[in-house]
Amino acid sequence: MISHQLLITSHQSPMVKQQDAIFRQAYPAPPYWVARFDVANPPGPGAFVLADLGGPLREPLFPATIDADGFTAMLPPRHPATRLLPGATVNMLGPLGQGFRLGHATRLLLVAETGSLPPLLPLLEAAPAVALVIEAPTRAQLPPPDRFPPTVELTLVTRDGSAGYLGPLESQDPAPANLQRVMPHLVELIAWAECACFACANDRYPALAAIVRAARIQPPPDFAQALVQVPMPCGVGACEVCRTPTRAGEKHACIDGPVFDMVRNFALTL
Amino acid sequence: MIELAPRHKFGLPIASPVMPAAGAFGYDDTYHDLVDLHVLGALVTNPVSLNPREAARGPRIAVHGEHFVAHTGLPNPGVKRVLRQYRQTWERLPIPVIVHVIATTPAETAKAAERFSGIPNVVGIELGLVDNVTPQRALNLLDAARADGDLPVIVRVPFTSVDALAPLLADHGADALTLTAPPRAVLPTSDAVDDNEARRYLRGRLYGPAVLPLLLNVLARWCSKLPVPVIACGGIASLQDAIACLELGATALQVDALLWRDPAILQRIAEGLAKFDPSTISE
Repeated sequence: MISHQLLITSHQSPMVKQQDAIFRQAYPAPPYWVARFDVANPPGPGAFVLADLGGPLREPLFPATIDADGFTAMLPPRHPATRLLPGATVNMLGPLGQGFRLGHATRLLLVAETGSLPPLLPLLEAAPAVALVIEAPTRAQLPPPDRFPPTVELTLVTRDGSAGYLGPLESQDPAPANLQRVMPHLVELIAWAECACFACANDRYPALAAIVRAARIQPPPDFAQALVQVPMPCGVGACEVCRTPTRAGEKHACIDGPVFDMVRNFALTL
Repeated sequence: MIELAPRHKFGLPIASPVMPAAGAFGYDDTYHDLVDLHVLGALVTNPVSLNPREAARGPRIAVHGEHFVAHTGLPNPGVKRVLRQYRQTWERLPIPVIVHVIATTPAETAKAAERFSGIPNVVGIELGLVDNVTPQRALNLLDAARADGDLPVIVRVPFTSVDALAPLLADHGADALTLTAPPRAVLPTSDAVDDNEARRYLRGRLYGPAVLPLLLNVLARWCSKLPVPVIACGGIASLQDAIACLELGATALQVDALLWRDPAILQRIAEGLAKFDPSTISE
């Protein structure tokens, strides 16, 4: 069982700064919207900023692409950033959090549900060989394959079997005759990869960690990394809203994560 | 200096009337990069219980317009670990520390409050009462908090219990009162709306601008009738809001969850009040 004991981490909080970003534009790219911000110090992959978009709480923005002048974020259609006017100044807190740690991995596996995919997008060209597994409820909710770099080995998964492999990712149930479960293919990809990054619903990570442990007997630290997506109102570990249960007790997603070693934090057994 | 505990043998003097509210600022100088602590009167810590508490399961935030409801379950590592982790930091802080103790049972409350007595730079206890606490239970908890320690005790009064508890606690020996704890409210969780599934609702602490007029109503009714200082808390979002609280009789004020969005609000209010002429406050 995951331990629910409380943990005080010895985390030394990094310098937290506010910075003003300039919103450039937003446009639809179904099933997301893309919003572009120019900012001096953009967050790295898996890290985030908290943007003041006029609501009572700041909104976390994870970068989907990053360059020297700023970043883009891919957002749900009704996100408040999509209502900004071009040229608007947006106050941002951060960069915040611990992002993905790839080391010198040359074979990178990315696994995501469609709604959680955008924070993984900066990693599409982060290694010489990248495999991407995307799971959606149905075909219509999958992003178009031609939107990804041709060098990426793409695996599509649908929960209803309408396209690609049959999900869900962690299911071992027998598939109908005309469909193929994704699990054996996922195990092969995990065995192939030198690093695997996951962005799924938090409650799926124990089962996914079990798959990783089945495919890799003793995965090294940070071999499998999980992005935890929960509300993070303050971003500095003060509000206690983002406390996440792990094997080592509760941790703050905003400062200890949001990217965690999946096996060491979420596996039910080691 | 502003005296928050004039009836206490040691008193509780603070240099500024502005403080963060319990649960908004962490346990130590978490916000040191964003807030100049020197302008604050004291640091009010996140809630602490004698024993560790886990976070609430399920959704913890529900947003609606300019308001939101938060329900964290008041997770904390317990008195022992809090002291181990933060007592050295507290000693180094440029402002005094008021520890917010969750009033659970009288026995636990007494033990928790006693553990903070004598800790360098800890100058007071703020006792957090649960909703629907009975008057007798509230008095027992206050007695417990004062039993074995020598720190001034401020009691944070639940929003719905001010009429029943505030005069009683003030007469019973509370050194000051924080009016009030956030009101309880219910909002649908945003996930349920987005997913178009059966709606789920979150009950928790309400934050947002609608709380301010409720607070001002409480201050207008009670400040002049209470024999102890009142610390205003709830919906304070500007210097004008802070001035209104002081004009209605509050001695000091706490800024709550607004500072997650705008940490600099603490500094702006504190610096604004430093220039404010209190003689202009109408009787």
